[in-house]
Amino acid sequence: MAAGRPAHGRPAVSPPQRAGYFAGVADTRHQYDVLAGLYLPIAAGVVLLVVLLVVAFAWRYRARPASAGAAGADRRPSRIHRAPKTEALYVLVLACVAAFLLWHTFTIEGRVDHAASGRGVHVVATAAKWHWSFDYPRAGIVQQGTDERPPTLVVPAGRTVDVTLRALDVIHAFWIPERRFKRDATPGFVSSFSLVFPRPGFWRDGGECSEYCGLRHTWMKFHVRVLAPAAFARWLRARQSGAAA
Amino acid sequence: MTAIGAPRARAARPPRRGLVGTLASTDHKALGAGIFTTAFAFFLAAGVLALLMRFELARPHLQLMTLHGYNELFTLHGSTMFYLFATPIALASGVYLVPLQIGAGRLKWARLALASWWMIIGGGLVMWLGFLTVQGAADVGWYSYVPLSDAPNSPSVGTDYWIVGVILAAAAAIALAACVLATIVTERAPGMTMLRLPVFSWTMVITCLMVLTAFPALIVAMGLLLAQRQFGGVYTGAAGAFDYQHLFWFFGHPVVYVVFFPFLGAVAEAIATFSGRRWFGYRPFVLSLLLFAALSMSVWGHHMFTTSAVENKYFSLTSTALLVPAGIEYFDSFATMWRGRIRLMTPMLFALGFLVLFVIGGTTGIFIGSPPLDYHVTDSYFIVAHFHYTLFGGSVMGLFTAIYLWWPKVTGTLLSERLGRWHFWLTMVGMNLTFFPMFFLGWEGMPRRVADYPPGTSWSTLNLLSSIGAALIAVSLLVFLWNVRRSLRRRVPAGPDPWGGQTLEWATDSPPPRENFLGPLPPVRSFAPLQDLREQREQEVQPA
Repeated sequence: MAAGRPAHGRPAVSPPQRAGYFAGVADTRHQYDVLAGLYLPIAAGVVLLVVLLVVAFAWRYRARPASAGAAGADRRPSRIHRAPKTEALYVLVLACVAAFLLWHTFTIEGRVDHAASGRGVHVVATAAKWHWSFDYPRAGIVQQGTDERPPTLVVPAGRTVDVTLRALDVIHAFWIPERRFKRDATPGFVSSFSLVFPRPGFWRDGGECSEYCGLRHTWMKFHVRVLAPAAFARWLRARQSGAAA
Repeated sequence: MTAIGAPRARAARPPRRGLVGTLASTDHKALGAGIFTTAFAFFLAAGVLALLMRFELARPHLQLMTLHGYNELFTLHGSTMFYLFATPIALASGVYLVPLQIGAGRLKWARLALASWWMIIGGGLVMWLGFLTVQGAADVGWYSYVPLSDAPNSPSVGTDYWIVGVILAAAAAIALAACVLATIVTERAPGMTMLRLPVFSWTMVITCLMVLTAFPALIVAMGLLLAQRQFGGVYTGAAGAFDYQHLFWFFGHPVVYVVFFPFLGAVAEAIATFSGRRWFGYRPFVLSLLLFAALSMSVWGHHMFTTSAVENKYFSLTSTALLVPAGIEYFDSFATMWRGRIRLMTPMLFALGFLVLFVIGGTTGIFIGSPPLDYHVTDSYFIVAHFHYTLFGGSVMGLFTAIYLWWPKVTGTLLSERLGRWHFWLTMVGMNLTFFPMFFLGWEGMPRRVADYPPGTSWSTLNLLSSIGAALIAVSLLVFLWNVRRSLRRRVPAGPDPWGGQTLEWATDSPPPRENFLGPLPPVRSFAPLQDLREQREQEVQPA
């Protein structure tokens, strides 16, 4: 999906100014980056600390041959084998780290999981072995693909897109990596969520099925096209009047 | 001219039992070694499947196989690794070592354990026989979600074979866990109270408890799946799909810990032995194991964060809380090494490798325990990287710690240290080269369980690196197998206690006699009775 990605580098971290509070909240990529920016440095720090301690201890406390002289002569290993107070304090620190991470996780999750606002563009995404299709019920149009040519999800930039997701046969999953968001599509169960695409662009294979769904799961993809609001309106009118996508 | 001098000492060859003698022995050592070897053979077989997948993924497009073939490969790779390798080998370690560690002469219900071995062999054969059927082996993933695995969507008989294989292996695991737990409860030597159990035996207690609570859910899930495929009407609609996922992950998460704890125990024994110190903070450690097990039984819903059908916050809370007991294991590891006398023999190298690799699996596990982060990376290569750091970096490194640590005890012969170091460093390089690029692949959007990916992106390089790493892992395993062969041929005698061990198994011959202990046992005053004796001797030689 990285092929043809226009802005390969950093994403639009800050929500678009004109989109208002809700669009900023539904900018899943922004929310993801904020949270990952918190988790990753801590994780990297812990890994680094463990590597350093392993190397330092293996060197500092290595067994030395007795012939190495008085300075290198082997000492007897320590016999201390419990330190309940230190360990309790350490557990307290661990618990605080867990609480800190969870606090931020819950805050961000509340924003990402915000139910469909009902104020944006409504798209019904349907997954079936092994194709996607996208209905725009208010405009009365459907985006479909073929085995050779995946369909394109067309959305306006900076506006909320309320997605209703369903599956017809087996479990699929709707994943747009650029938006850092994914949701399962379970047959018989409809899930709703809101996405915001801050910038216009085209993402070849920018949407994927990420739940294994049988033979052609590998190739179950869709393209994503984000148009400026005016261009999106033109596109809708053109599609309604029967012109090609 | 060595011919003139005294012949080099060689360890005695064990008496040959013959095929029937081997397949029908109720001696827990023969049984443990048999199940262990069977499971290791399945490890190699599943490794070959992984190599085939990595060859296919080395370059974009399909070269070696069809989509269907690839789907069979990842299904059988995961299934074989979990049901036929990791779980059986974890329990086999307990079958062999626990009676020795607790000073017992036998395994309780040994004939049940023998039947388990046959069930594992039978289950494995049935599962793999799918490859010989017209429609091929199962291709529904090791977790076989419904409705994909129901009869209309996956009509192949290979899928039915697979279900039967899983049920057999799961039943065997339950039986083995029952045997090991019963042995610990009823066969302990005088003085061996529960709070004097060696660290490895404690991890086996926890492992067995988890098998006994989690694996029945798997048998129920699979039995109902078989009924669904034959008659329908069991898992219906979305509710049926979610019910299946709950049942499966109620087993599917704990199993990760089932195949982790025994090797954590092995790593703890190795760190203590090769630091010349007893394991630090024994009682808090035992408590933390119980907390670990309890939490890991209550996190299964994090596999379902993206379904919109579970209470994400609850499962996020329990999953994140796992960092507390895991942190305690690390604290105790470092505190054991602190001011020790560290000998970097092969078992210790693998134990330190475990500490380094598992923390990468652990911290990324906390990362994906956060639902908003999991939404992006779940079912992507990020997850593949994460759990291979826990299962390969954790369990397999711990397994090799156990193999190098107890090989002299089991065979009476020594492995080559030089080949062991080669094995270790090749594994470390190969493992990181294989799995670290997968973090980037997943982050950039490569889904799991795909045989093909678009050309002309960074994915080609990352996948190629990963495939080269997989080939390195294969080479490291060949070095290991060569070491094994060499050790069994040269038979350099190990003696009863080559490492300065701390627990009772090092107080008997290598390999142990049929009855395990011929003379009286050393007194058991703590979880490290031989270390007690050693410290007592030092005290007498150099009064403080």
